[in-house]
Amino acid sequence: MQDLLYFSQQLVNGLTIGSAYALIAIGYTMVYGIIGMINFAHGEIYMIGAYTALIAITGLATLGVAWLPVILLVALICAVIVSSSMGWAVERVAYRPVRGRHRLIPLISAIGMSIFLQNYVHLAQGSRNIGFPALIDGSFRFGAPESFQLSLSYMQITIFITTLICMTLLSLFISRSRIGRACRAVSQDLGMANLLGIDTNRIISATFVIGASLAAVAGLLLGMYYGSVDPLFGFIAGLKAFTAAVLGGIGSIPGAMLGGLILGVSESMTSGYLSGEYKDVVSFSLLILILLFKPTGLLGKPEVEKI
Amino acid sequence: MNISAKKLATAVSASVALMAAGHATADIKIGIAGPMTGPVAQYGDMQFSGARMAIERINAAGGVMGEKLVAVEVDDVCDPKQAVTVANRLVNEGVQYVIGHLCSSSTQPASDIYEDEGILMITPASTSPEITERGYELVFRTIGLDSMQGPVAGNYIASQKPERVAVVHDKQQYGEGIATAVRDTLKDAGIEVAMFEGITAGDKDFSSLVTKIKQADVDFVYYGGYHPELGLILRQARQTDVTAKFMGPEGVGNKDINTIAGEAAEGLLVTLPPSFDEKAENQELVKAFKDKGEDPSGPFVLPSYTAVQLVAEGIKQADSTDPFDVAAALRANSFETPIGTVQYDKAGDLKSFEFVVYEWHSDGSKTPAQ
Repeated sequence: MQDLLYFSQQLVNGLTIGSAYALIAIGYTMVYGIIGMINFAHGEIYMIGAYTALIAITGLATLGVAWLPVILLVALICAVIVSSSMGWAVERVAYRPVRGRHRLIPLISAIGMSIFLQNYVHLAQGSRNIGFPALIDGSFRFGAPESFQLSLSYMQITIFITTLICMTLLSLFISRSRIGRACRAVSQDLGMANLLGIDTNRIISATFVIGASLAAVAGLLLGMYYGSVDPLFGFIAGLKAFTAAVLGGIGSIPGAMLGGLILGVSESMTSGYLSGEYKDVVSFSLLILILLFKPTGLLGKPEVEKI
Repeated sequence: MNISAKKLATAVSASVALMAAGHATADIKIGIAGPMTGPVAQYGDMQFSGARMAIERINAAGGVMGEKLVAVEVDDVCDPKQAVTVANRLVNEGVQYVIGHLCSSSTQPASDIYEDEGILMITPASTSPEITERGYELVFRTIGLDSMQGPVAGNYIASQKPERVAVVHDKQQYGEGIATAVRDTLKDAGIEVAMFEGITAGDKDFSSLVTKIKQADVDFVYYGGYHPELGLILRQARQTDVTAKFMGPEGVGNKDINTIAGEAAEGLLVTLPPSFDEKAENQELVKAFKDKGEDPSGPFVLPSYTAVQLVAEGIKQADSTDPFDVAAALRANSFETPIGTVQYDKAGDLKSFEFVVYEWHSDGSKTPAQ
């Protein structure tokens, strides 16, 4: 019983972090699916989302607003607005001018953008860790109080539910809306979509904005869950989310969700049963194995050679 | 073509002569190397503020052998690669004395360069024993060693009679070194160390680690490392009802842990150098810091002040600015400093240095632990 509770606790920990990875991974996978490039500045967009949320929360606290739903909603809206305009601007400034060139050029441009944004936040906000207030506190407990108790915190539940809502909305948006349909068309064949009268530039911008908004949501959630932010906050999370996207099959949205969850759970199980030191070793080995045996990822479609 | 080459040659020789002239009346340059930016910059602030104050006061009192001390400040971000870069920059600047570095993992590679180049280095903060184990002639410190701090922490934990203890570290030279010393002390005292595990510095998610600590059912957790990680571990541990007492080395003892951990920092135990700023003989100096709007209570402020003072007094005793003579003078004499009477052994370590266990509070203050 004790062991089962311990296992479930690690599973909950893994699923929480995994669903946040999935939110960030969507940004990588959608951009790749549409223009075939990897947006390495995406981790920084997520970090900026977390900072914006923190600034909004602090601002509201000084204004004396104490009602939690208002604080969260305002923080969320601010984070989404700032991050998505940042995502849009990054595409306009760094990627659009080099689109269609050799594929290394946008990649280098992306890495440059990532370094720029990191250092910008270093300068603007300082390099120290800033504490994030624990707004959602408390947890449900399972198991006898004298032995190991499974605790499911309200914050973890919030992360699950928010991710679930975001993913459902995204799936509906992609499958039902006009822009969603255009997105799918562009990802199948950019040139053809252009010929058929779809404003591909607008669709590509929309992709960046959607990815950045989800990253901002993840930034707010993980900032509150972990408890602090720093300018390098986005780097590791970005790397992990990118791994998740590749694991699930880059270009595939359900793949990013699956990849995120698998990565999160494998990380927490490794630290739970082996040692925290091997956490990254196991998750990146997993990536190498998948790439060796199924290079397109778990749910990725094999690329059809166009003749 | 010919003329311009000649002109160029004249200009170059003129400027070389100017530089040489500038050098002849040069002041004594003191390099201060530590993190101005990066996650542990607050320790760097302590180091810079202590060293600057010492330089200011020594200059106000007439300098050293008629010459003024001039600070050359460099930022190593507490990153070993950056530390090597800035060490080379100090070499090029013609610095002969360095106060720094702060993180042991930066001090170690930088000290190789200083020793090769004949530069005297005094670190006010690096506690890793390996730094002075290599038989270097020009490496000193104004702080104790992990091998002194570890047993203090270990013995304190043993005196609280816990049944089981977890020891966690950040896999870095400083953190793992001190965690190992604590584990060994605990084992010698016959206390079960249920967990000895590393984490990755810079990581944010410690939920799995915290679950493991909870499962291991320990009464005490010792963490070897710095405050950004321990702050998060504390916070995440309190949210999942881990009731164990936490303890860390001086790398966690600063007010930033309160902004990260909040209420969860209450009751954290920290081994720190004794509060030099509370000693009666230092009150005049403490006032000078306060007049300048600076806080002298950080653990590295007065050791850093002392390091500069030792360079100045070493030069006076040796009656020479040659770093090797100064090093010999530091080993041969004893000095009265804000951190007490300083005497060096052959390795460059202080003959005695005390660590004290403090209890940290959620408002950032500390009191001696019971």
